[in-house]
This record gives sequence, structure tokens and C-alpha cells, in this order.
Amino acid sequence: MAVSQPRQEKESEDCSLLPLVHDIIKCMDKDSQDVHQELTKLKAKIQEAREQISNMPGVDSSPPEQQQQLATLQEQVRTKNQLLQKYKSLCMFDVPKAS
Amino acid sequence: DSADVNSCLAQKRREPNMATVVEKSTKERLLSVLDDLEVLSRELIEMLALSRSQKLPQTGEDTQILELLVQRDRVFQELMEVAQQQGKVHQEMQLLEKEVEKRDSDIQQLQKQLKEAEHILATAVYQAKEKLKSIDKARKGSISSEEIIKYAHRISASNAVCAPLNWVPGDPRRPYPTDLEMRSGMLGHMANLPTNGVNGHLPGDALAAGRLPDVLTPHYPWQSSDVSVGLLPPHHGNDFGLEPPGHNKENEDDVEAMSTDSSSSSSDSD
Repeated sequence: MAVSQPRQEKESEDCSLLPLVHDIIKCMDKDSQDVHQELTKLKAKIQEAREQISNMPGVDSSPPEQQQQLATLQEQVRTKNQLLQKYKSLCMFDVPKAS
Repeated sequence: DSADVNSCLAQKRREPNMATVVEKSTKERLLSVLDDLEVLSRELIEMLALSRSQKLPQTGEDTQILELLVQRDRVFQELMEVAQQQGKVHQEMQLLEKEVEKRDSDIQQLQKQLKEAEHILATAVYQAKEKLKSIDKARKGSISSEEIIKYAHRISASNAVCAPLNWVPGDPRRPYPTDLEMRSGMLGHMANLPTNGVNGHLPGDALAAGRLPDVLTPHYPWQSSDVSVGLLPPHHGNDFGLEPPGHNKENEDDVEAMSTDSSSSSSDSD
């Protein structure tokens, strides 16, 4: 985890808009002509973030909802395994083994 | 714009109460925070630009907006981490869904096999029941073997089933009608029809009559005495002495001995 944590921190810094806002304010203080460029960068970053959010998997539900769905799926798998085990042990016929 | 800022502030105050309502999805929250960030950053930049251009003293509002901006940014980053965690959970869920699908197909396969087994068993049970019914029916209609033997004896007593074992030519006891008897019956009388009075062949031979060379025409006992055959009584009696003249014994040698009405005193004819 120690290796992945710096990467996670970098990723969270990547999605922060504050550095860009800071750059814009600095340019404004300097009366630089790059203000427009920085503004464009900020807009692009915001748009990019929107697209990224839309494409992210698993975020269509809140974390508790997702945990509930996960628990339901785990329960389904467990129940079906039990059912199959029960039927296979009951069956007296020569059935081919299901892979 | 200031209305947007105010709505952001209001939302920030409302947020602790939102937990009691149905939770929004992470996506919705992220997009909402991103919108807030956009509005706040725009507002801040515009405010700073205006205050610089108009050389107005800065009110505390820009600080307030800045604080809000920083706070929303932090929330955004936290939400992005949550989203990443949810992504991992989503992958795990996809694997579980595949497992569920596989189990479903296994269950369907087993169901199919159980259905087949049920069908086989149902058929076997049905056939067994039918057999039991037949057995029951046979038992109800059972007859003693003595009666069956008596009946068999009765129907075979008149040699209608089989000639006696010690049968010899001349013995009248036989399980088939003689030529004489056939001639005296309906078929025999049909031979007396006008279209077929020439040489006494059977009606079926009427077409063949006149076509076959003499060598090939069969020599039947009635051939030379077709008129006398027609005069015979229709029912056969026990008078088997009334043999049709012209009986040709030679040709009968090839035929099974019992198939002709022969007597020991038959006269040969050509």
C-alpha cells in the first residue's frame, strides 16, 4: 500500500483545480497575457473531469448501495453453490460433470 | 453569480442533513461539486479582476469564496478517492456476476436433466400401470385350461383345423373343401355364366382361355365334364363316390397329395 499511496496522492492532486486557479490569479497579478490561456486550461480541465466522471464504472450508486449490491451478489453465489451441491449429491443418475 | 455562490453556501449548510434523505450516487455528487467548483472559481476570478480594474477595496466576500473553493476542492478530491474505491468494488462485482451466470447455467443444465429423468420415470410408471391393468383384466377373464382344451378339441374334431395324422388318399376327412365342393358352391356356379361356357375354365381364366396352347393348359378333372359339374348339387354331401370323370392322376403327382379329391379307384383320363 505504501507504494500505491503516493500514486493515489498524485492522482488526487491531479484532479484538484486549485493549482490552475492559483496560476490564473498569479497571471492576473502580473498582468500577463497568459491569463486567457490559463482560463482555457481551467475550462478544459473541468470538462475533462466531467467526461472522466461520466465514464467511471461503479459510481452510479452511493457507496452503501454498492456495498449492499455486493453483499447481495455474494449471497446469490453462495446460495447457488449450495443448491448445486445439494442437487449433485442427490442425483442418482449418470449425468455428465458440469465444468 | 452571487446567487450561485449563495446557493453553494446554502448547500454546504444543508449537506449534513442530506444524509437522512436517500443518498445520491457518487457520480451525481461529483458532478455537483464540479459545478460548484466551476462557479466558485469563475466568481473569484471575476471578482478579483473587477476589484483590480476598478481599484476598489476588497470586501471579505472574495475570502469567503476562496474558502468555499478550497473546501469544495477538498470534497471533490475525497469523492474522487471514493469513486476509485467504488471502481474496484465494481470490478469485484463483475466477477461475481460472472460466477452467478455460470451457476445459473449449471442449474439450468441440472434442471434439464431432472426433467428428462422425470419423463423417463413417468413413462415407466405409466407402462407398468398399463401392464398391471392387463394382468388384472386377464385374471378376471381367466378360463380353466380344461375348457380351452375342450374347445380346441371340439373345433378340431371335424378335421376343420388339420387332417388326421393317419390320413391317406381317399380319406374324406380334410380341413379344406374339395374341388367338387368348390364346384358346387357359388364360385362353381359362376363358371356356368354364358361368357365362359366354352372350355370350363374358371372365370378368371376366361381371358386366358383360347390363348394358351393345349400343352400348357392345366388338366383339371372337370375339364372334360364341365356339363356334369354344373349338374352337381350345390351342397356337398358325404357322397364322395361321385368322382368327376376324367380325373388325371398323373398330373397330381407333382401336387401335394392331399390337395386333390382323389380316390383309389380313379380312372385315368387324357
